[in-house]
Amino acid sequence: MKIQEEIKGYLERYPDRRGALLPALYIAQRKAGWLSQEALEAVSEALDLPKATVRGVATFYAMYRQRPMGRHLIQLCTNVACMIFGAERLVDLLKERYGLEPGGTTDDGRFSLVIMECIGACDRAPAMLVDTDFHPGLTEEKIESILEGYE
Amino acid sequence: MIKLTIDGREVELERPVTVLEAAKRVGVTIPTLCYFEGLPNFGGCRLCLVEVERLPKLQTSCTLMASDGMVVRTETEQIRAARRAMLEFLLINHPLDCPYCDKAGECTLQDLVARYGPEAGRFAEGKRKHPESLDDPIIVRNMERCVLCTRCVRMCEDLQGAYAISVSGRGGHSLIEPFSGGRYDCEYCGNCLTVCPVGAIMSRLHRHSYRPWFVEREVETVCGYCGVGCSMVLQVREDSIVRTIPRFGLGLNNGLLCVRGRFGYDAVDGEGRLTTPLIRVEGRLEPVGWEEALAFVASRLGEIKDSHGGRAVGAIASGRCTNEDNYMLQKLMRFVIGSNNIDSAARFHYAPAEAFLESVFGQGITANLIPGIADSDGVFVTGGDPTAINPVLGLQVRAARRSGGKVIVLGPPGGLKRFVDHELVPMPYSDEVVLSAIVGGLMEAGRSSGENRAVEERLKELRLPSEEELSAAGIGPEALARAVDDLLKMTNPVVILGPEIMDGARASKRLFLVGAVAYLMNARIYLLSERPNYQGVMDMGCVPDLLPGGGPIGLEMLRDRIEAVLGLRVPEEGGLTLFEMVDEAERGGLRALYVMGEDLLFSLPDRARVQRALGRLDLLVVQDIYLTETAAMADVVLPAAAWSEKDGTFTNLERRVQLLRRGRYPRAGREDWRIIADIGGRLGMEKTYRSAEEVWEEVTHASPLHAGLGYSEIAGGGAVWPYHSEPLKGTEAGFAVQGLGELPGVEAPGGPYLMPERPLFHSGTLSRRSRALLSIHPEPYLVIPPSLSEELGVTDGGRVRVVGAKGTMVLKVRIDPDQREGTVLLSNTFEGANFAGLVGFTADPVTGCLTIEDNTVRLERVDDEAL
Ligand code: SF4
Ligand code: SF4
Ligand code: SF4
Ligand code: FES
Ligand code: FES
Repeated sequence: MKIQEEIKGYLERYPDRRGALLPALYIAQRKAGWLSQEALEAVSEALDLPKATVRGVATFYAMYRQRPMGRHLIQLCTNVACMIFGAERLVDLLKERYGLEPGGTTDDGRFSLVIMECIGACDRAPAMLVDTDFHPGLTEEKIESILEGYE
Repeated sequence: MIKLTIDGREVELERPVTVLEAAKRVGVTIPTLCYFEGLPNFGGCRLCLVEVERLPKLQTSCTLMASDGMVVRTETEQIRAARRAMLEFLLINHPLDCPYCDKAGECTLQDLVARYGPEAGRFAEGKRKHPESLDDPIIVRNMERCVLCTRCVRMCEDLQGAYAISVSGRGGHSLIEPFSGGRYDCEYCGNCLTVCPVGAIMSRLHRHSYRPWFVEREVETVCGYCGVGCSMVLQVREDSIVRTIPRFGLGLNNGLLCVRGRFGYDAVDGEGRLTTPLIRVEGRLEPVGWEEALAFVASRLGEIKDSHGGRAVGAIASGRCTNEDNYMLQKLMRFVIGSNNIDSAARFHYAPAEAFLESVFGQGITANLIPGIADSDGVFVTGGDPTAINPVLGLQVRAARRSGGKVIVLGPPGGLKRFVDHELVPMPYSDEVVLSAIVGGLMEAGRSSGENRAVEERLKELRLPSEEELSAAGIGPEALARAVDDLLKMTNPVVILGPEIMDGARASKRLFLVGAVAYLMNARIYLLSERPNYQGVMDMGCVPDLLPGGGPIGLEMLRDRIEAVLGLRVPEEGGLTLFEMVDEAERGGLRALYVMGEDLLFSLPDRARVQRALGRLDLLVVQDIYLTETAAMADVVLPAAAWSEKDGTFTNLERRVQLLRRGRYPRAGREDWRIIADIGGRLGMEKTYRSAEEVWEEVTHASPLHAGLGYSEIAGGGAVWPYHSEPLKGTEAGFAVQGLGELPGVEAPGGPYLMPERPLFHSGTLSRRSRALLSIHPEPYLVIPPSLSEELGVTDGGRVRVVGAKGTMVLKVRIDPDQREGTVLLSNTFEGANFAGLVGFTADPVTGCLTIEDNTVRLERVDDEAL
């Protein structure tokens, strides 16, 4: 029931209930790391929006996750700028160091990895997001020490 | 005035419309795929592209508004190329599995590609894969075929109001899904599959069993499930019904159906359809020939009439039978047997409610057009969920809300949940307190016009509840005041009244108060009707005190009139209602009962008593399509033709007379009217009839109301109330209302109240013969509120023993967070697990309707091991 209360707190910031759907989905996702059917139902109930509508919106955006994921989500860019600055090497490193494949999750459930197409940080490439934290200018050393900060 | 040119033709428009619609008016058809008349425009498929002079690019005509001076071309080489390109894009993913697809032959995409090409696609990368979903019992989803026109989603949201499906995913991965991704668990109206232009959403019922071009005949008829009377088309091949479909532009439902009409047509093909007449021999029902059965019934009826008089014989008519069937039964009883003992299950609620309201406001007060509901700016609903009892009427309420009307519901809102502005859910049996307060509020606002003195005089007696009494009834005074404020703002309101308004003591008072609300607001009244022809049953005189045409039997002038027409005399002695017939049978005064299309033993409460009463009869004749519980007790069983097997007319709740047409020949039974006329003939009735139309012809003479209303006028849509003649004005007799000066105290019952559920997926005992409807709602369940589940320690799907005053049953529970505290629900659908089997009844002293008694129940958890 906690999710519902938190979502309701957001309602007044939006002109209508539909407007609050995206933040409400984030709230629900934060609780479990992904959006299960139950989580979608909770959102639908809190906002009094049809379940199917909520699911339709949740499945449209890549930032909402339809499957269970690790505790932390790494979104690493490999698009042109990042690629030129060595992003592919970082992908390999994540595989070697953590056994983490693109689209996969580590065995201990600590990290999931998603490859992104440009996160708008080309001037500071290569870049990644860990959960909602932004990390630009990555190097092999830097990425390891950053990730060690996430338990 | 807007003037434009489309393909060289001049178009003049009063009001701005889209180019697509403007083109249609001058007979130019522009190809479309995502457009669907009646749905909000989407503009997504780009098939409807047109060239407009002075506009640089091709335009989608379904979204472009026509404007003055436009010069439009709809079919040029540039347009054809663009359409071909759009289709080629669609074919990137659309599989070319037409030989295997049920839609082939009536598929818009197929037709468009045949017309514009491409003859081959250039995309070699392979199509997306998504296996056909057979997770649902009724609807097959094949998302490889989906062209993402979103017609289904717009239908489900904007017309049906169910919001059950949506586009999920994005880009090339988009597809249409219900929330579960598998089963629909929706209202199953099937309206999404009507609008799907391709074979992506289809009915599972006739999957791979036909090809559209195999349909040999189409028969326009009316649905046999409820009193809305939706029009539909039976598609027939080799004397079997392939499917039923709605059609835009046909009937008041204009292309929409509900689950029962759309999928319930197989109810006539259930197991155990009666195939031959049966006569009881040494305690067992044995098959006999028609001649033997009819001769037996006639001679037994004759003997009983001769030795005990006509009054010892009674008949039960049926809201599932046609006007012609009911008229004939009435004729047999009144004019051949000489008894006014004729009634039907319309007696439970519909007939007394209508009779009462007419006694206050005059004949025809409830005759209002269903499509008018959507145009009203306010709807007051009480006594049942219109979206379950009369679903297509319920859609009109949703539509009214969508276009800005206010909806106020007194009672659990059910399928209107998403569409209510004021949800007033009182404590059980406290509706009259709330109604009194509403009437008080309207009077205080000066809504008494003086037009109906009698009503206003009686209203002076009304005791209004104090704020405490209102709160004790479960409604806060502020909530009530807000609702009354909105009622007062309505200028074109509608009042919708369901059967549950009559549940409990003092039905007349609640009816009167609802009538008063309508009167004070100057609203149109709609009376929900659970059977397709309850209205016709009344109009045909299958009521002890009414003649065909609805005139009271007590008026000598009317008796003389019908005698002059038929040459037969109306018996003067008053007749018995259904409840009185049961009493008389129990006492031994009623010796014979002729039951047509009604399962009395199942639909009446207090089974033991009804069984005892029927058991005492010297002759019980049951005419039906299945061996019902009542038929199993009969001395003679006569197999009848079913809904899709006969011609005739139904009169819906708006009092529109509509034609029912035969789709196929009866498998075994005969038309009800024909069986009865045959028996009548053996008892001395001279007139013979060759067709239902000839029976109707007699009705148009016998009933002043239906004068001059032949089948051809009915077919032409001319049979809308008040037909051709003047209805009777308010009867002089006045009306009685019980308990206006009192308010009930809140009693603490000894357990939860058992109330009837009127489910969307079922309709009396007929729907349980439909495999399709059963697959959606296969078994009985008791709906309980969460508080009770905690108290009892049962979870959803667990079992409880329900101990009622008249029976005990073990039932699965369904926990519903919206279920009202202190109440549990059970439908009257399944054999051995039905509402009526647990409770008692009596007849309301004023209106004569069914009053449920002794309906508090005790619940005990049953652990599965103990079963
Ligand atoms: S069957 Fe009716 S309620 Fe169900 S998804 Fe289709 S349109 Fe919606
Ligand atoms: S399922 Fe049919 S109606 Fe719905 S979007 Fe796909 S093609 Fe259109
Ligand atoms: S609303 Fe009534 S008449 Fe219409 S399809 Fe449904 S059951 Fe049949
Ligand atoms: S390419 Fe990586 S952030 Fe733009
Ligand atoms: S019909 Fe106009 S865009 Fe689809």
